[in-house]
Amino acid sequence: MKGYARSGDFWSGMVLAALGAYIVSEAWRWGYMTEEGPGPGFFPLWYGSLMVLLSLALVASAVLKRPAGTARLVVRWNDVGRALACWAAFVASIALMPLAGFMVSFALLTWFIVAVMARRAQRVALPLAVGGALFFYALFELGLDLQLPHGMLF
Amino acid sequence: MFHARMIPAAFLSVASMLAPLAAHADFKPTHTVEVIVHTGPGGGNDVLGRAIAHMMEKEKLLPVRMVVVNKPGGNGAVAAAAIAEKKDDPHTIGLITSVWIAGPLTTSEARITLHDLKPIAQLVREPAVFAVRADSPFKSLKEFIDAAKAKPGTLRQSGGSVTSRDNIVRLSMQHATGAKWAFVSFPGGGERLAALLGGHVDIMVIEPQEAGEQVRAGKLRVLAQLTETRLAGYPDVPTLREAGYDVTTTPQIRAVVAPPQMPADAAAYWEERFTKLHETASWKKYVADNQLEDAFLHAGDLRKSIVETENRLREQYQLAGIKTVR
Amino acid sequence: MDIFAGLLQGFQVALSANNLLMCVIGVVLGTVIGVLPGLGPPATIAMLLPLTFKLEPTGAMIMLAGIYYGAKYGGSTTSILLNVPGESSSVVTCIDGYQMARKGRAGAALGMAAISSFIAGTFGVVALMLVAPPLARLSLAFSAPEYFALMVLGLTMVVLLAGESLLKALLAMLVGLWIASMGTDLFTATSRFTFGRVELLGGIDFIIVAIGVFAVGEVLANMEPTDPPEMLPVPKGWRNLLPTWDDMKRCRFAFVNGSVVGFLIGLLPGAGSTIASFMSYGIEKAVSRHPEEFGHGAIEGVAAPEGSNNAETGGALVPLLTLGIPGSGTTAILLAALILWGFKPGPLFIQDQPQLFWGLVASMYIGNVLLLILNLPLVAVFAQLLKMPSYAMNSLILGVSIVGVYTAASSLFQLGLLAVFGLFGYAMRKLDFPTAPLVLGLVLGDLMEKALRQSLMMSGGDPSILLRPIPSVLLGLALLLLVGPLFKKFNAFRVKVIDSEA
Repeated sequence: MKGYARSGDFWSGMVLAALGAYIVSEAWRWGYMTEEGPGPGFFPLWYGSLMVLLSLALVASAVLKRPAGTARLVVRWNDVGRALACWAAFVASIALMPLAGFMVSFALLTWFIVAVMARRAQRVALPLAVGGALFFYALFELGLDLQLPHGMLF
Repeated sequence: MFHARMIPAAFLSVASMLAPLAAHADFKPTHTVEVIVHTGPGGGNDVLGRAIAHMMEKEKLLPVRMVVVNKPGGNGAVAAAAIAEKKDDPHTIGLITSVWIAGPLTTSEARITLHDLKPIAQLVREPAVFAVRADSPFKSLKEFIDAAKAKPGTLRQSGGSVTSRDNIVRLSMQHATGAKWAFVSFPGGGERLAALLGGHVDIMVIEPQEAGEQVRAGKLRVLAQLTETRLAGYPDVPTLREAGYDVTTTPQIRAVVAPPQMPADAAAYWEERFTKLHETASWKKYVADNQLEDAFLHAGDLRKSIVETENRLREQYQLAGIKTVR
Repeated sequence: MDIFAGLLQGFQVALSANNLLMCVIGVVLGTVIGVLPGLGPPATIAMLLPLTFKLEPTGAMIMLAGIYYGAKYGGSTTSILLNVPGESSSVVTCIDGYQMARKGRAGAALGMAAISSFIAGTFGVVALMLVAPPLARLSLAFSAPEYFALMVLGLTMVVLLAGESLLKALLAMLVGLWIASMGTDLFTATSRFTFGRVELLGGIDFIIVAIGVFAVGEVLANMEPTDPPEMLPVPKGWRNLLPTWDDMKRCRFAFVNGSVVGFLIGLLPGAGSTIASFMSYGIEKAVSRHPEEFGHGAIEGVAAPEGSNNAETGGALVPLLTLGIPGSGTTAILLAALILWGFKPGPLFIQDQPQLFWGLVASMYIGNVLLLILNLPLVAVFAQLLKMPSYAMNSLILGVSIVGVYTAASSLFQLGLLAVFGLFGYAMRKLDFPTAPLVLGLVLGDLMEKALRQSLMMSGGDPSILLRPIPSVLLGLALLLLVGPLFKKFNAFRVKVIDSEA
């Protein structure tokens, strides 16, 4: 694999160039000018084109950069995996809300973060999970009369 | 005038006068009622919703609390979807304006239209007036139109979105007279007025209450009113027709709707409550304070009014070259 | 009326037992909703509106105004402690406030936010009292071309917010512009970038993006190490919690900057406190003698925006009370409240209702003092929050983020967006993209596009309208801001060349 293909700049530049191209193509359809003045495509066309230009510059700089050798920051996939696991748990807890409501979902999320991610004992994780959910309930629903997400079950 | 749909409601309101608590069919709210509005806090329907909640409480028309729920976005599309989601919930109602009719006409994403929701009652029509700065050279609407004809495209009007009444009136006027002037959209009412007062635009369509204070302070002059008959606050200002412009202005309505499958007894209950509200002194005062036009309609007439408005708007959009999607 | 006599009358009104109580209730409530993300002043005032019908209008107005400026005090708390902006006007406070907290200076940041809020808030009231009528004309002089130039000036601040790579900062800003243009186009009713979703017709609320990118993204990054540090350093002792004398000296300019910029931007009906806070942050960094400390916990980076969003309150009340023009969601609902109480807000309002106007002004002096007294002891309480172990803190941040977004939008779709932007924020951190320019583009992009298109509609397509006097000055400043760093770089390069030649 070429050196640049391992660089974040290269890939983020590519993605942003694609986004820019998408913006330009959409803006093109909407019309640049209308009878009344600048159309809905006017502004997006400009910033979309600029995005393509700048992101290609980013790609170019990543390709042209001399291979930085050992000084390069290596992605530690193990770390990224931990962050993504946490994100997945966050998404799962939101997805669970229409069914189980905020209280249960948030308690599960807290438990996951404390017991699985931070590897604390259950005697720490369980009280924190339940206590955290109750704290939010007491503060927002009882104290402030606001609605937290409610599910079909709770 | 008196048709089948009105009978149950009329019967109910008579019955409720005789036995105030006994006869609202079967339904009676048992917990907090949600009023869904399409603006953020402070927007027109939000304020109206809160005023209604207050008046319902003050006049003891409801056994439960009424709260306003804001579902802003997409010219009413988000709020309409939120009401439709409630299916048969008798504890949810929504407050609509003409924007809810206009929005789906131009927005393909809006899957729910007012035809999918249950009409309850129309409350008011919102009149408006054409105003210019007090130091403007235009003393009458005719002078403005003539100037716009003489130099097309040099005069400017500030207003809301392209589908708003402000623009529809302009398009109809342009169509009727052959004059041409520019329309500059501003998202907030404050900015529209500031643009006019600051001399950045020449004319605007403004609510009579708001204009009244500016007139009193000698900042604005009202040229014509967009109403069928003259408003109490503007006895000396001609209506569009009196000023010589026979254009149909689509009135801005405010009305109550309910989720699509709300049971008939609950819908009748709400229709009857709003009929009641409309007769109270608080409501009359509110309408007068805000210089609104009292335009109460029962559910059946509201449905007709919606269809009529929709057809008229579609026609006007097509005349103006605004793309409609349904 | 003579200002002195007016103020005297005002204090008589504001110091009556009832109105004083209303003021206390207002500022306490304001602080609470300011601390809580999601729930902002417009929603709170709207909820309380029915209640105010039972009150006497002057007292009710004093209370509602208390909520309005009280929320600006509270807004910084979660920004500093959790990186979750409490109000949209406190988003920029996250940048340096949260970094200060990570370095054990949360107390100083919180204390400085309160002090700066007090100074600028009071300045705002003084200015409102002294110069309201003449300055009201300034808010009318500003229209689309002026706003456009102001937004351009704001966007050039991306140069200041950029980290190592200007290229990446610009790209982040452009993504912000893209998100800003989602939804129904005001001018043509075209749906842009909505992907067929009804929920996107209204665009994406900027606070969701800010919370996602700042708070959720940060939590995800914190999750990376298997054994993170147990907790953040919190100094012991009350004295070490508050800003030091040195801090105060460092922030001298920030106080002035925040006060003046906040008030001036507040005057403009189309700008708002978020823009005010960004502008004063940018100015603060631009003139700072150690700009490199910004973004790593510079205390001026907290003082300037927090002051600015408080001075903005006084500014925003000028067009509302002297012209009857509301500039923001909060002032719009205050206007609606006045009408509902039977007043007629407009150009003659102050003349017609002197006791209400002067009572309000006097109550704002009192309210600002109350808020300072209320908030300084709270610093000690809130700073204890950081003694929580990091795993509890992370779940607290996620919980507050969820609740914040949900109370603002009450829809699960928006929570889905929060998750998306959380991941996006994490990716930006991993790829070394600065997050502040994204939020900057998002805040200014929408206004900038509107102002540009409005200008060209006003002029019939003639771009020379953008070179009216005020816009010319603003655009000139923007150019200066852009060229300045380039010139510095060029100079450094030149010196280097000369050195190497020598």
